[in-house]
Amino acid sequence: MKECISRTELGRMFADAAQLIRNQNEILSQLDSQCGDGDHGTTMMRAMEVLEDAIGSSPIDRDLSETLRQAGWSVMGADGGASSALLGSFITGMGDTELGGAVDCAALAKCLATGLQSVQKRTKARPGDKTMMDALVPAVETFGAAAASGKSISEAMNDAAAAAEAGAASTKSLVARHGRAKYLGEKTLGYADAGATSMALLFRGFSVALAAVKES
Amino acid sequence: MQMKKFLNDPKNVVRELLEGYVLAYPDKVKLSGAGTVVRAAPKASGKVRLVTIGGSGHEPGLSGFVGKGMLDVSVAGEIFAAPGAPKCVDALREACKEGSGALLIVLNHGGDVLSANIAMEMVQRENLPVKMVLTEEDISGPVGDRRGLVGCVAVYKVAGAAAELGASLDACAEIAHRMASNMRTLAVAVRTATHPATGQPIFHLGDDEMEIGMGQHGEAGTGRMKLKSADETAEIMLEKLLEDLGAKEGDELLVLLNGAGATTLMELFLIFRRVAQLLEIKKIKLVRSRIGEFITTQEQAGFQMMIARMDEELIRLWDEPADAPFFARP
Repeated sequence: MKECISRTELGRMFADAAQLIRNQNEILSQLDSQCGDGDHGTTMMRAMEVLEDAIGSSPIDRDLSETLRQAGWSVMGADGGASSALLGSFITGMGDTELGGAVDCAALAKCLATGLQSVQKRTKARPGDKTMMDALVPAVETFGAAAASGKSISEAMNDAAAAAEAGAASTKSLVARHGRAKYLGEKTLGYADAGATSMALLFRGFSVALAAVKES
Repeated sequence: MQMKKFLNDPKNVVRELLEGYVLAYPDKVKLSGAGTVVRAAPKASGKVRLVTIGGSGHEPGLSGFVGKGMLDVSVAGEIFAAPGAPKCVDALREACKEGSGALLIVLNHGGDVLSANIAMEMVQRENLPVKMVLTEEDISGPVGDRRGLVGCVAVYKVAGAAAELGASLDACAEIAHRMASNMRTLAVAVRTATHPATGQPIFHLGDDEMEIGMGQHGEAGTGRMKLKSADETAEIMLEKLLEDLGAKEGDELLVLLNGAGATTLMELFLIFRRVAQLLEIKKIKLVRSRIGEFITTQEQAGFQMMIARMDEELIRLWDEPADAPFFARP
């Protein structure tokens, strides 16, 4: 039988991601204060709380695409500036893939890809610019490749999280070319980008949740 | 630098500051839902509504300019963070109900533009008469990638006057564009601010340094140097602004000086004095001016200098009455 996730697992994915971001929020703010105004941790924590609530409280039988679209719109309403606008675009974009009540690995790959497209429509930032895209793009692409090669959802998500973490780590040696940080130029060398780091935490949270689902 | 501010729970700071603001000026402004400030008495129906959006922590910007002759609606975000698109969509829908259209004025900052673009797509899908004007007058960046600083206040003023006089949405947008494209701003910082939510300094600057080109959120500029005198600072900044604007003899200029939060009026008067002297030497006419705190960055010390080339119509609109809590003209 094909491995699928439904609303319950989706809720756990966002709950675990929110938990990780909560735990790391001070580190995220510290990273942000190297290159920005130092509020990325609090902003992401608030955005993830909204997301966790929106998905966790949506009716269990609602179409998952609709759940994601509404949750994404709620995150945009969390007033988190660019971070929540882009995170919201990613989540609403995931909902652009018709999902129904359950998602298999291939559908989740497609769903993450439409999420990424939605973010790409909103920002000119590309990998290498020292932004969230340095983690998000490899995570989504790695998930897609893992899904195509027949890996399970939890294996594919573990690969995606590792790719996001590697992408986030790579931003240490990059000079910011987008967002507020670009004005700092070479001074941004040596620090990982806060947005990329929170994207890595998001995917690690997804992976932790899916690994736990598999265990049980 | 240790944060030293009068706060309650930092989580509630935006809600509390907006509540305090509307309680202080109940005859002029009120809250419409969380984080949206509107006029206490709406302008006559059928007239164009001016809507702006932007993060908080810059008081009195931007909600301080809601009032007769200026803005109708200000959608406030969290500290230094843009409001979300859903609130912007709601504000635009509401503005279009009573007005003959809405002019959305957005300062060029990443988050604000993201929310504004998402909101514009939504309202255009509903065929609502909304136009957007972006202010991007900070000359510390290259053309096409410039931030919106205090110049937005001049745009609110002239477009707000036009709307009050009954101008169409197209005419209001044209006035706003004309003002926006004829203005230039440069900022300087001498001391950092602390972020009310994190308690941390938003940038670092040596005790004997100043930085020209510093943005409204501690975004670094390009001109870090030893602290200069008021006259020297005025000269450096004005020269850059005049050059960028291409100002020449006989031009008529509006000059705004905007204190960043911890710079005294005393200092701003010294700066202004030198600006006026230099303009006179260059035979450039100083036709209108304002000095004060319009858009601040907490307790940051420094200021923004804005110059704008005015024509007859812009001056006439600038002189129209205005009655916002933080910008009034009889």
